[in-house]
Amino acid sequence: MAVIVHLERRTELSIEEVVQIYLRRKRFWDDGTVIVPLNLPSQAPLRARFSELVLNQTETRLADYWNRRYFDGILPPATLASTEAVRRYVASDANAIGYVPASEVDGSVRVVLHLEKDGGSPEEVRAAAGRGGSR
Amino acid sequence: MRRAAIWVPLLLALVSPAASATPVNEATPGVDDAEPEAFGADTPLGRLSYRAGRGLRVGKTGLLGGFATVGAEFLGGGERRGGVEELNFLVSFDPVPFLHLFTELEVERLAELERGQKGVRSDPNLEVRRLYLDLQASDALNLRFGEFLTPIGRWNLASREPLLWTTSDPLIVEQIFDQTATGAMLYGSAFPRGGALSYSLYGTFLDPIDPDPAAPPAERGAGAHLEWASVGGWTVGASYFTSELRNGEWNHLGGADLLWQPHRRVEVSGEALFGEGSREDGRLWGLYAQTVVETVRTLYVVGRYERFDPPGVGRAVDLFDLGLAWVPVPYLRLKADYVIADHLDELSSPGLRMSVSILF
Repeated sequence: MAVIVHLERRTELSIEEVVQIYLRRKRFWDDGTVIVPLNLPSQAPLRARFSELVLNQTETRLADYWNRRYFDGILPPATLASTEAVRRYVASDANAIGYVPASEVDGSVRVVLHLEKDGGSPEEVRAAAGRGGSR
Repeated sequence: MRRAAIWVPLLLALVSPAASATPVNEATPGVDDAEPEAFGADTPLGRLSYRAGRGLRVGKTGLLGGFATVGAEFLGGGERRGGVEELNFLVSFDPVPFLHLFTELEVERLAELERGQKGVRSDPNLEVRRLYLDLQASDALNLRFGEFLTPIGRWNLASREPLLWTTSDPLIVEQIFDQTATGAMLYGSAFPRGGALSYSLYGTFLDPIDPDPAAPPAERGAGAHLEWASVGGWTVGASYFTSELRNGEWNHLGGADLLWQPHRRVEVSGEALFGEGSREDGRLWGLYAQTVVETVRTLYVVGRYERFDPPGVGRAVDLFDLGLAWVPVPYLRLKADYVIADHLDELSSPGLRMSVSILF
C-alpha cells in the first residue's frame, strides 16, 4: 500500500501525520492550504487494511470517534469509488492525499509513505514505516 | 447588548460568498459511505444525501443532523419519571474552507411523564445550546466566537446521551461549572512525534443566548485547557478556569483528565477538579473514574466511581454507577445503569436509569 500526494507536493509525512490527517485533526498542509484526504468505499478491503495498519483502530472505535466529531459538525474524509479514481484525483489536486495499492502507483503521483504490500502485523508495519520504510 | 453582540459575526458569515462547488475532475469525492445512503436527490442547492447517524448533507457546504434520547428513571424514594430527554438538531455550514458555522438547537420539555402526575406533560421550547463561528487560520491557530462547550476536562465536550456510556453525567461535570461558555476562544494543535498537543484559551464575556434562569452564568471568566493525545492510545489534559460571579465573588477551578485504552476492548477515563471561591466555605473538589469494557461485539459493561465534596455542605458523597450499553449499530445506543450512593441527599439520586439514544 502506498500513501500518495500530488507531484508538486514535496512534503514528507510520517505515519503519525497520516493518522492525524485521516482523523481530520491535522487539516492544513505546511503551506497553509487545506488537506483533502480521500478514502475508499467502506466495503473496500484496502480501506479496512488501511484502518488496521495506519489508524490502528477497530471499526467500533472509529465509529465512536466519528460520532463525536459529528457532534461538532465534522464528517469523515470523502470517498471515491476506486483506487484508480483516487490516483487520478490526487494527480489533479495539489491538496489531495490518498492511498492505493503500491502496484498502481505511476509517474502521475508521488509516494509519501510506503507500507508493506502483503502480510505483516500492524505493529510490524507501523514500526517499519516509522524507521524509514516509507521512503 | 451582550446577547446581541454574538449575532453580528455569525450573520456576516452567512452572507459571505460560498465556495464554488465546481468539481476538479469527473470523479468528485463523495460523502463517506460507512452507512448506506438512505435518501438522495439532486437539487439547485447541490446533492442532498442522507445517511443514518450522519445527517443530511446539503451540497458540499451544509449539514443538518441531530439526535434524540428517550429515557426512564426509577429512583430511590419512589420517584418515577420518563420522557423525551433530548431532541437536538445540529446544523453546520462551511461556505469556504476557513469558515465553520455551527449551531445546536434543543427542544426542551417535549414530553415528560412523572409519577403522581396525570398524563404526559408537554411544554416544548426551542433553545439554542450552541452557536459559534470558527475562523480556521491553521492547525495551530483558530478563533471561535459564540456560545460553545466549556473546554474543562473531557466529559463536558461530549456530554450528550448518544456519545456517553451512562445515562447520567458525573457530579463534577454537572454541578461545578457552566457547561457552555459564551465569548471567544483561541484553539489549535501541533503534531510532534508521538501524538498531538492541543490547547484552548478562552474568555466568557457575553450572556448566553438562552440562559437558565435557575442557574445564571458567571459575569465573566477566562480559562485554558491543554491536552496531549498520544498515538499509543492515552490522552492527558489539564484545565484551569477563573470566573467572577454576578455578586462579585471570584472562583478558581483547576483539574486534570485522562483517557487510556490499554486494549482495543477497554477504555479507562477519569477527571479530577478542585475549586476555591472567595466565600469562606467556597472550597470544593471531586473526581470520577470510569471503565468501559466491550465484552462481546456491541455489548459493553460500564463501571464508574465518583466522589464529590461540594462547598458548604460538610459531607462528601460517593457514588457507584454500574451499567450495560448496547450499540447494535454505530448511531443507536441503549443503556441501563444503576447508581448506588453512600448516603441520600439532594446530590445523590440512587436508582435505575435507562435510555435509548439515536443519532440521525
